Amino acid sequence: MEAVLAEPLATSRIVAASATGLTKIYGEGNTRVVALDAVDIAFEAGKLTAIMGPSGSGKSTLLHCLAGLDSVTSGEVRIGDTRISDLSDKELTLLRRQRMGFIFQAFNLVPTLTAEENIQLPLLLGGQQVDPEWEAQVVDSLGLDDRLHHRPDELSGGQQQRVAVARALVTRPDIIVADEPTGNLDSASGQEVLGFLRSAVDKWNQTVVMVTHDPVATSYADLVVFLRDGRLVDRLESPTPDKVLDMIKSLEV
Amino acid sequence: MRQMLRLSLRNLGANRLRFALTTFAVLLGVSFVVASFVLTDGLLRTFDTLVAEANEGVDARVRSESDFDEVEFLLRPVDESVLDEVRQVDGVAEAEGVFQSFKIIPVDGTGPDAEPLETQGPPVLSFNWGESTLNPMNLVAGEAPDEPGEFVMDVGAVERENFVIGERYDMIGVEGREPFTLVGATQFGDENSIAGTTILGFLIDEIWRLDGADAVYHQIEIAAERDVAQQELVDNVAAGLPDGVEAITGDEATADDQEDFTTIINIFGNILLAFALVAVFVSTFIISNTFNILLGRRVRQLALLRALGASSGQVRFATLLEALIIGLLASVLGLGCGLALALGLRELMNALGFELPDFDLILSARTIIAAVVVGVGVTLLASYSPARRAARVPPVAAMRAGFRFGSGEGTRRTIIATVLAVPGVLLLAYGVFGSGSTAAVLAALGVGAVLVFIAVSMYAPLFSSPAASALGAPLEKYPGDEITGHMARSNAARDNKRTARTAAGLMIGLALIAMATVVAQSLKETVRAQLGSTVVADYLITSDNNLGFSNQLSSQVEALPEFEEVAAVRDGSFRVAGDTKEITGTELSFLTDLLDLNVIAGDLDATDSLVLTEDAATDNAVGVGDTLEVEFAETGMQAITVGAIIDDDFLSNHIVDLELWEQNFASQDDNTVAAKLAEGVDTEEADAALAPLEGAFPQLNFETRDEFTDRLESQLDSLLVIINVFLGLAIVIALLGIANTMALSVLERTQEIGLMRAIGMTRRQTRRLIRLEAGIVSLFGALLGVIVGLIFGWLAVVAIPDSAIDRLAVPAPTLVFYVVIATVAGLLVASLPARRASRLDILDAIGDL
Repeated sequence: MEAVLAEPLATSRIVAASATGLTKIYGEGNTRVVALDAVDIAFEAGKLTAIMGPSGSGKSTLLHCLAGLDSVTSGEVRIGDTRISDLSDKELTLLRRQRMGFIFQAFNLVPTLTAEENIQLPLLLGGQQVDPEWEAQVVDSLGLDDRLHHRPDELSGGQQQRVAVARALVTRPDIIVADEPTGNLDSASGQEVLGFLRSAVDKWNQTVVMVTHDPVATSYADLVVFLRDGRLVDRLESPTPDKVLDMIKSLEV
Repeated sequence: MRQMLRLSLRNLGANRLRFALTTFAVLLGVSFVVASFVLTDGLLRTFDTLVAEANEGVDARVRSESDFDEVEFLLRPVDESVLDEVRQVDGVAEAEGVFQSFKIIPVDGTGPDAEPLETQGPPVLSFNWGESTLNPMNLVAGEAPDEPGEFVMDVGAVERENFVIGERYDMIGVEGREPFTLVGATQFGDENSIAGTTILGFLIDEIWRLDGADAVYHQIEIAAERDVAQQELVDNVAAGLPDGVEAITGDEATADDQEDFTTIINIFGNILLAFALVAVFVSTFIISNTFNILLGRRVRQLALLRALGASSGQVRFATLLEALIIGLLASVLGLGCGLALALGLRELMNALGFELPDFDLILSARTIIAAVVVGVGVTLLASYSPARRAARVPPVAAMRAGFRFGSGEGTRRTIIATVLAVPGVLLLAYGVFGSGSTAAVLAALGVGAVLVFIAVSMYAPLFSSPAASALGAPLEKYPGDEITGHMARSNAARDNKRTARTAAGLMIGLALIAMATVVAQSLKETVRAQLGSTVVADYLITSDNNLGFSNQLSSQVEALPEFEEVAAVRDGSFRVAGDTKEITGTELSFLTDLLDLNVIAGDLDATDSLVLTEDAATDNAVGVGDTLEVEFAETGMQAITVGAIIDDDFLSNHIVDLELWEQNFASQDDNTVAAKLAEGVDTEEADAALAPLEGAFPQLNFETRDEFTDRLESQLDSLLVIINVFLGLAIVIALLGIANTMALSVLERTQEIGLMRAIGMTRRQTRRLIRLEAGIVSLFGALLGVIVGLIFGWLAVVAIPDSAIDRLAVPAPTLVFYVVIATVAGLLVASLPARRASRLDILDAIGDL
């Protein structure tokens, strides 16, 4: 399979984040693992992109490098116009705080804070006040109005993920990065969360990049890109679960 | 069993840092205990050897029989004629008289600007230099004194004071200053110095003259002819001795001399040991806390063991075994570290002004056993409760997430706390109010304090959460970063038991420091008040060590027009009904003129009467007009009439007039001279008038009453510093405990920290989070400690008789200062775990399951 590059961008489309020649190598000698091999990809703003691939394909690694949570061996990562590799740890941390949103598979919330405090956390860390109207909108959309003063251990798994989504939205970030957001949820809660992510893209023009192994989840995406052995091998626009399943089967041959 | 051992070792190996930290905390306590034993044993041996060397060749000693001294330090001397007699006795090869004096003060030069040597430490010892083998010292430089005006000095002092052989130095004797020449330097065996004492040697006639004595010796040392046994020699000599003079064998003399040192060294050693036990006590809390936290992290592993078939007993055993390994390791290492610490302690004591000699490092059986008992005992004791809880982990916890230990423990713990608190308080009450032997009272106080400390730390979880929350509240107001403070506050308030236990170590150390400070302050203010109200005199002339000085001085002061009402005060001992008591000699009118004592019964007119305090009168069941049989060292049994009863034992419980003193005491030296300023004279004029006298008696303190009080207070402050330094080790252990707890806390919250870092918490914010949490816990511990210390201090003040301390004085600024320092220290010590937390790899941390 030849590596598929991102489509040349028309000037009317905005790139929320991009990777150029991104390579990530772990270990040396016998234990050398090439997790990512010169990956070029651009994530369009205002779209929900899913990253899929078999385990070991490097999909999580790509996400982590994109988010500045992992260092790159070579190549470049940009969030908007900002080159991540130029940044100090402090600048990187501020970038994550102000311009990115995170949703992890599990353990998304700080146990000692209430749901509302968890939602506001990125702003609180910056000593900033939240915009009450925006927060109210987000909380309302996610159906969390009566859960705001509960602690995480008083919320169901689905509710916790919804709080995580709200937190990701509260700073109106350039990009929301989600690592298997429905991995720990039952299908009903999972669909709910995916629905919220979709409406964040539709209503508020957010950009979401999601790693998932669930073909059903991809039906919420505008674009699915496929990784195998650290390389971008295919892409699928306007995916449906069937088309995705076919693609996966053909990849695993 | 072997499986369990392997498992225990594996567990310890897997967590090397925690293992090391825990072992270190026990190690510190063990080391301190070992060090105090090693120091004691070493000093005992050094001084025993020193004495034995000094008495080498001495087969018999002749000295006066009276077994109580009329003044401190020296026995009544024996007449010179006895020496002549002894020399004639069969079997005597050599006999030499020894005369000792503490009154002779060397000056560091000659002329009016030269200063007398410091006499704050041990007093300067002078003796007569003889050429015989019985002289324990030997010349290492220069020559022996063989003419008037010559003296020798020990090498240690020569080097310390920069004296030069051949130079002239004044000596201050009873007749005033005279020039002398240093002709030689001496050594005691191989020792340059004995515990920093300056030793001078003079010709016998010179020392008699300087001391004001004549033709007497304090003891006579005798060497036997060959083949004459010590006892035989003693028998021969004793036959010709006058009444009141005895002969003892050389061995008995050595044993006597050694005992003088042994008593002091043992007291010193016991005090060190007490401080060491405080450190051990604190480290027990630290270890207990650590084990509990570690237990929480290992629930799954333990449950797995149980699911696989291990019995509760086996699990408990495995946990205890781990503790045992740590304890043994700490004991063994503690022995080595204790030796090093003993040397360190010696340096510390020298730096504080005590001059300890070199000593051998001795590891006696007692020391080794103590190390093992303390090391293993502490760890087993601390791990007992966690081990029991470990055994109660059900197998199902291996499969189910979120197992928590039941919190029904709270009531049980409160009950145990009360069970400990009640006897603790009772023991304290007995120690404070009860009467009994000193040993019983001290034991009651010690055990009572320990029980109360344990009880307080068991009660602490009841209020640690709200307290931590309250103390942390201001942190949330930090502009620009309230969230860090908020999280630190809720973390500190989250686990009431852990916060309480972590704070407990600091509480103990601070409670003891606070108590010592309160007692010291109360003592200072009592002294100031008593001196202020009781002493009407304006000037006080005293000597360091309360050594006597010539009574010429008081006459000279009396002759000065700047002063009216001058009184001399003399201190001594006598016997009443077989017990040795203190007695004061002074002009009786002094009691009401220069002091503010009140006569309750009788009057002060009769100069041949005895004046008693109320307590003394009651003890002896006498009143004014009754006769009391007393015994003086010089004149034996006397019957004296009680002339008056006064209300205050400011001077002592027994006072006689100088006339009576002159009749019954050999020494006519004064210990204090008190004087009142004449009408219209100010202190400047008085100082000027005293200046020539100061020149003649440079070793004395000529002070106004306020200056005198100030000096006493600063001496007390120095003592307080020393106490605080020793308690400092307990504080260090407590701080280590805090660092340890924070490190474990970080480990527990790795995922949470990783998440927050991903969301946008900077490294600096991470560090602040950890430090603030440690700060809150430290503040809680410090405050609790100061409160407990205040209560203990109050009890101590109540317990101590009013004559010594009659009021409670709380130095609030000092206590606040201690709290601040402790909190800051807690903040600082958490910097290391804080740094590690800030450097966590985010992905690894989040993935930590």
